[in-house]
Amino acid sequence: MTQPVWLSERVQWIGALDPTMRSFDIVLKTPNGTTYNAYAVRGSEGVAVIDTVKEECAEQFFTRLEVVARYDEIKVIVLNHLEPDHTGALPELMRRAPQAKLYISKSAQLMLKALLNQQDIDYTPVGTGDTVSLGDRTLRFLHTPYLHWPDTQCTYLEEECMLFSGDVFGCHFCDERLFNDKVGDFRFAFEYYYAHIMRPFREHVLNALSVLEPLRMNIIAPTHGPILRDQPKRYMQRYRELSGQRLQSEVNADEKTLVIFYISAYGSTTQMAQMIRAGAEQVAGVRASLYDMEGGDADLFVDLVEDADGILIGSPTINGDAVKPAWDLVSSFAKINVRGKLAGAFGSYGWSGEAVRMLEDRLRGLKMRLPQSGVRIKLIPSPEELEECRRYGQEAGEHLMGVNAPRVLDMADLLASRQAQV
Amino acid sequence: MAKAKVTFSDVNVTVNVPVGTRIIELSEAVGSYIAYNCREGDCGVCLFEVIKGQENMSPVSKEEASVILTRFQEIMDGWRATKNLNDLQAKMQRENFIGKNCRLACQTQVFGDVVVAPL
Repeated sequence: MTQPVWLSERVQWIGALDPTMRSFDIVLKTPNGTTYNAYAVRGSEGVAVIDTVKEECAEQFFTRLEVVARYDEIKVIVLNHLEPDHTGALPELMRRAPQAKLYISKSAQLMLKALLNQQDIDYTPVGTGDTVSLGDRTLRFLHTPYLHWPDTQCTYLEEECMLFSGDVFGCHFCDERLFNDKVGDFRFAFEYYYAHIMRPFREHVLNALSVLEPLRMNIIAPTHGPILRDQPKRYMQRYRELSGQRLQSEVNADEKTLVIFYISAYGSTTQMAQMIRAGAEQVAGVRASLYDMEGGDADLFVDLVEDADGILIGSPTINGDAVKPAWDLVSSFAKINVRGKLAGAFGSYGWSGEAVRMLEDRLRGLKMRLPQSGVRIKLIPSPEELEECRRYGQEAGEHLMGVNAPRVLDMADLLASRQAQV
Repeated sequence: MAKAKVTFSDVNVTVNVPVGTRIIELSEAVGSYIAYNCREGDCGVCLFEVIKGQENMSPVSKEEASVILTRFQEIMDGWRATKNLNDLQAKMQRENFIGKNCRLACQTQVFGDVVVAPL
């Protein structure tokens, strides 16, 4: 199949099939490959090409494009998202259609230069409300940033109520039948794509949905996977559900949740975790809960972390490092937004005790908020050390509720105490 | 050496510092939630709010002002769907936020008492 595919009388799919790909961008599994969807829109005064394909698949794209239009008819090139799997064929397309004007989102400008390593590219930056006319067809741009890069936008073909959505509502699923009412069951791929690509940007997904939902919608045409022409709004609703709350939370608006994860070889870090929880619970409004990382895995815990206001992680130090379940948990934070949440680490150790500081550094790197220095205890906690844990938990609770007592210190002491911790 | 007091209101900590200290030298150590990326004035992530004492801070450079403005535009684009966008814009204009109530922690030095918070 090297023919273009009609979406409507004026719109054709000119993308590429990549059925043998097995992992995408290193991080995603693609058990039946993917598609790079590009589209051509014909108006009475010229043709628009919307997105391109990965460089390796450019031949498929140009073969289909040449069936649809002559290069000198191309008036407009729109890039909804600059990632190389959609811009790989751009330099060649611009060479073959030098008269075409390039339209990208305002936030894509610097990226474009870095991506093509050409300084003298001519383009028009556009934002929500901007339009470009093809005579009897009009493209309207919608700024929908951070889905899943800062540059992302959607393009709406007004006369046909068709949305070229970029990666939004896409998935890695390769089926040459192309349309959602013809292809095999791709629901798992749709949900998997949301979970790994869009979920970290949940707030931005909600913002984008409020821009897109009011539009009349006949077809959603994403850059990967099936074209959604049968009940397209269902896929928007699904995004709404996936980005919303799961169960109604039982936590009141004036309460804060603290989730304490721990893992322990001989029970010392467990004792610490229990005392920390007891301390946190002393602060009015704090709902603290304990989870043993040995009894679950990061995929389960990440939902808890997403909704929690504060996260503490307890790990012993083994061979100079925090243990793998702790790192697995922390690395799963990349799937969600943890920025600004309260965080901390604690743990018992035998002789060196690096785990706590290593975890703290990583949590800080995730832009979490670490107002306290974590508790490290050598071997079995003494009663005094358990009291230190209780105080640590209480202070964490106070930070969560914003009721901690004022402290005054000298810069020299502050920096010295930081040094001493390392 | 002349001293100044820097108060981080989000964690309720006050630090006595020599004049000329930058906010970035303190905020991480006290655990204030001012986030960082580049640490050299390029990215605008370490935007913070000046609650008191703007006259006791190093003057804002052209470069810092321009980074702050860009960063604000990004933040506002992200907030486009919120109801409070008009309020936020009005507040920014009214209070001349950029470079006055709002600075970059990696650039700002203190020369007297100030109170700051993450934005």
